[in-house]
Amino acid sequence: MSALPPRRAIRLLERVLQGDPAARAIVGDLHEDFLKVLDRKGERAARRWYWREVFLLAGGRLLAGARLLASRGLLARGRLLRWRDPARAFMQDAAYAARALRRSPGYALFTAGVIGLGVGAATAVFSVLEPFVFAPLPFHEPGRLVWIQNDADPGDQSLAAITVRSANLYDFRERSSSFTGLTGYNGFFEAAAYTLTGAGEPTRLVGAGVAHDFLDVLGVEPLHGRSFSPEEGEPGGPDAVILSHGLWVRRFAADPGVVGTTLTLNGLSHAVAGVLPPTFDFSSIFSPGVPVDFLRPYPVLPAGDRGYQGNRLFLIGRLQDGIGIDAAAAEIAAIMAALAAEDPERWGLAAELTPLQEHIAGPFRPALFMLAAAAATLLLIVCINVSNLLLARAPGRAREVAVRKALGASRRRLVRQLVMETTGIALLGAAVGAGFAAVVTAWVPRAAVLRVPLLDAVSLDGSALLFAVAVAILTDLVVGLVPALRVAEGKEAAVLRDGSTGQSQSLGARRMREVLVVAEVTLACVLLVTSGLLVRSFRAVLAVDLGFDARGVITWQLAPGEMFRGRPRAASDFYGALVDRVAQVPGVEAVGLIDGLPLGRNRSWLLKRIIGEPEPQEEGIQVFPQIIDPGYLSTMRIPLLAGRAFDRQDTDETAPVILLNESGARRLFGSERSALGRLMHFWGEWDWEVVGVVGDVRHVSPEVGPGIQVYYPLAQMPDFTTLDMVVRSTLPPAQVTAPVGEALREIDAAMPVEETRNVESIVDRALSTRRFTLSVLGAFGTAALLLAVLGVYGVLSYSVAERKTEMGIRMALGASAPTVFRSVLGRTVALASVGVAGGALLSLVATRLLESLLYGVSPTDPVTFIGMALVLLAAAALAGAVPAGRATRQGAGVLRAE
Amino acid sequence: MAKLGEFELLVLLSILRQAEAPFANRVREDLEDNARRRVTRGALYRTIDRLTDKGFLTWELDPTEVPERGGNPMRRLTVTEAGMDAVRSARDVLTAFFGSVRTELGGA
Repeated sequence: MSALPPRRAIRLLERVLQGDPAARAIVGDLHEDFLKVLDRKGERAARRWYWREVFLLAGGRLLAGARLLASRGLLARGRLLRWRDPARAFMQDAAYAARALRRSPGYALFTAGVIGLGVGAATAVFSVLEPFVFAPLPFHEPGRLVWIQNDADPGDQSLAAITVRSANLYDFRERSSSFTGLTGYNGFFEAAAYTLTGAGEPTRLVGAGVAHDFLDVLGVEPLHGRSFSPEEGEPGGPDAVILSHGLWVRRFAADPGVVGTTLTLNGLSHAVAGVLPPTFDFSSIFSPGVPVDFLRPYPVLPAGDRGYQGNRLFLIGRLQDGIGIDAAAAEIAAIMAALAAEDPERWGLAAELTPLQEHIAGPFRPALFMLAAAAATLLLIVCINVSNLLLARAPGRAREVAVRKALGASRRRLVRQLVMETTGIALLGAAVGAGFAAVVTAWVPRAAVLRVPLLDAVSLDGSALLFAVAVAILTDLVVGLVPALRVAEGKEAAVLRDGSTGQSQSLGARRMREVLVVAEVTLACVLLVTSGLLVRSFRAVLAVDLGFDARGVITWQLAPGEMFRGRPRAASDFYGALVDRVAQVPGVEAVGLIDGLPLGRNRSWLLKRIIGEPEPQEEGIQVFPQIIDPGYLSTMRIPLLAGRAFDRQDTDETAPVILLNESGARRLFGSERSALGRLMHFWGEWDWEVVGVVGDVRHVSPEVGPGIQVYYPLAQMPDFTTLDMVVRSTLPPAQVTAPVGEALREIDAAMPVEETRNVESIVDRALSTRRFTLSVLGAFGTAALLLAVLGVYGVLSYSVAERKTEMGIRMALGASAPTVFRSVLGRTVALASVGVAGGALLSLVATRLLESLLYGVSPTDPVTFIGMALVLLAAAALAGAVPAGRATRQGAGVLRAE
Repeated sequence: MAKLGEFELLVLLSILRQAEAPFANRVREDLEDNARRRVTRGALYRTIDRLTDKGFLTWELDPTEVPERGGNPMRRLTVTEAGMDAVRSARDVLTAFFGSVRTELGGA
C-alpha cells in the first residue's frame, strides 16, 4: 500500500532532468498529478501512468537533443552524415525480418515461447532477489546500520538466548562512542496481545515495543505526526502509539486527523503520536509473517531496575562516520569486559554485531542463491535449445542468403537482417517472459504466510522489465549471432550447387547439434536431481510426527488483559468458566488453553537444578515452558505416557506440579517412570513436582527436535501474556466459530472473537518457505525436462528426415522395420545416457551447495539420482520413438518418391 | 521582437489567467479543460523553456513545499513586460483580422 510514485521511475526522471534548473518543480508536478490519478484510478493504474509520463518526457528530451545536434550540424560531419539513409535501411531490414518471421509463424512463436520461459524464470527470480541484493533497506544510509544481538551458543537460537538485556543497551549508550545512535525493539512483542475497543468491533492488534528513538536511529520520518518523545520512553510514562501505515489505512481510512487523538487498547487510552510511512513496514523487515499494527515505547533502563531484567531486546546501532563495524565490535567488547569487572554478578553480556542488511537477508541467501542458480541453468538450457533450432534452420536459410548475396547484398546487411530477425523473436520472448514473471510476482507478496523478509517489496517494476528485455536480447545474441555469421559467410556457389532442397547438413553440423542435446540433458538432469532432493526433503518433513493432531482444531487468541496479574485464583476461575461455557457449544468436542501454540512463539526458561542431584556447574538447563489448562493435552491429542495429567484439583493452594515431555524425562532421568515424583527448581521459592510425562511436541519447527519441554498448570503459573484457546470439533469450522464467539462474548463483552485460525494453517505456515522453494524449483525442473525432451525430439526427427533416403535404401536392401526403429532409438538412448551420466556427475557437486536446505535425505541420495536418471531416459526414449516410428513407416516409399 | 506561436500565445494567456496560482500544472489543466486541446507535459515544458529563452517569461521556485508534491517546490511563472507586449501585439493583429471578416464568419 504505497501512495508514492515508483521510486525507480523518480530516479530515472531525475537522471533525465539532470542539469535542468526546473528539475525539482517538474518532479513535483508529476507527483501532484500522480496523486490525482491515484485517487481516480487506484494504485496500479497510477504507477503505470507515472512510468508512461516519465518515458514520454525522457523520449521527448532525447529527440529534442538529437534534433538540436542535427540542426547545429554536429551530425553532418563525419560518418553519420547520411543518418536518414541508415534509418531507412533499418526500417527496410526490420520489415524484411518481420516478413521472414510471418512466413514461418510456428517457428517464431515456438522460439519466442522457449525464450519466454527462460526469461520469465530469470525475471521472476530477479524480482524476488532484487530487494535482497540490490535495493537498500528503506532507511537513511542503511549501510551504517548494525544489528546487535547476544552471541549465543549455535545450538540454542531461542529468542531468550539471542536477545539482549535492556540494561546492556543502557550501558552501551552511556559508554560507547562508535555510534551516533543506539536503539532496540522488544523481540518478544508477539507475545503481548492488544485489544482495540471503542471504535467499532473489538479488534486484536499486535504492537511492537521499541526504544523511543527507534525511528530516529533508523532515519525513518513518520508520514504524519511525530516519533516518540523521551518521556514516553520512561517506565510509567505517557502511553503512546505510532500506527503502521496498513492499520492507518485499514482502520482509520487514512485520515491524518487520527494523529493526536487517543485509542483504547486493553482498556487504557493511548495517544496516537504518528503514522509510519508506507515505505517502512516493520513486519516485512523485522518479523516476516507476523503483521505489526503499531509501535509503542519500550523503556531502556540501567541494571538493577526491577521488571526489565531479562533478555528482551534486539539492538540496532548507527555507526559514526568513518567507524567500521570491527572497531565498533571491539569497543562494545571492551565495554562489556569493563561492565563484567565492575559487577561480577552481571550476566547476559555477549554482543554480536552484523551489518543490518546482512542480518536480514543473510539466512535466506542459500535458498535465494539456489533459485538464481536454477534460473541461470534453465536459461542456459533455453539458449541451447534455441541454438539447436537455429542450427536446424541454417541450411534452409543458407540457400536464401546465397541467392541474395549473389544478387549483390552486402555481408553486413545480411548479418544485420538475420540478427534483427532473431531480435524480433527475442523481444516477443521478452514479452512472454514478462507476462510469466508478472503472474509469479503478483502471487509472491500475497503469499504473506512466507516467513521471508522484504517480500512485500517484490514487484515487477521498470528495472525487472529492463532486465527481462536485456536477458532476452543477450540470449538472442549468444545463440543468434554465430549462426547468422555462419549463414552469411561465403560459399554461396557451393550452396546453390548443392541439391535442390538445401536440406543437407554436414556431418560436423549434425555432431554439433548432438553435442548440444547432450549438454541440454546434462543440465536438465542437474535441475531434476536438485528438485527431486527437495521433494524428498519436503516429504520427510511432512512425515515428521509433530506430536499433536492439528486436524479439526480451531484456535482463538484470547486477550488476557492485565486484570489477573497477581491474582491466580481469579484467573483460573475466569478461564475455567470460559472453558466450561465453550464446551457446551454444540459440536465442540474438547476445549483447552495454552499460552503459546506449538510452531508459534519461541522462548526458554532456565531449570536451575533438580532436587536430590548435585548442583549443576553451569547456569542451568534450557527448557521450553508451556502454560496449559487441564483440557489442552486431550484437545490436541498429546498422549499421556506416565503418571497423571493436570486437573481442576491443581490450584494455587495445592503443591506445585509440572508435566515433562518424553525426551526431557529420558534426558534428565533416564526413563519416563523415574521422572515421576522428582522435584525441579526454576526460580522463586517453590520446587515443582513432576506428576506426569507426555509425548514430545515439535514446538519450534517440524525440522527441530523437541528438546526438554515443561508444562505448568495455568492455575499455578498465571504468568502469561497471551492465551490461545484450542477447540476440537466434528463440525466444519464455519459452523463452530460463530457460536463459540457468542459464548466468549457472554463471558467477556470486550473479547475479540473474529480472529480464528485453524491449527492446520499454523502447521502450513511453518512449512511455507520450504514449499515455496520447492514449488519454484519443481517448476524449473519440469520446464527443463520439457525443453530437454523437445531438444531430443527436434534433433532426432531432423536427422531421421535427413537420412530418410539412406533408411529407404537400407530397408530396400532387407533391413527390417524393427532394426531401423532400434537403430534410431538406440541413438536417442545413447545421447541421453551420455547426458544423464554427465548430469549425475555435475549434480554431485551442485547438491553439496544444497545441503543446508535438505532434511532427512543426503545430497547424494541414490533413490533420487537413479529415479531422475530413469525419468530422463524414459522421456528421451519417448521423444525418440516418434521419429523412429516415422523412419520405419516411410521405409521404401521414400525411394519411389525420389 | 521574437515571434510568438499560437501555442506559445495560449500558454502566456493561460499564465495571465492564473493570477493566484501561475504554475505549470494549472496551465496544463486550463488548456486541456478550456482550450480544448491535448497538452503533453513535454510540449508544455519545452514551450516554457522557449518562452523563457525569448525573454517573455521568467520563473522562480516557490519555496513552499507541500506534501502533495512529495516535498518538491513549484515553479511560479511570471510573464515579463516583453511578454506582455508580445501578447498585446498578437491581440491587436488578431482583432484587426477578425474584425474584417466578421460577416464571413457569422455569429457574434
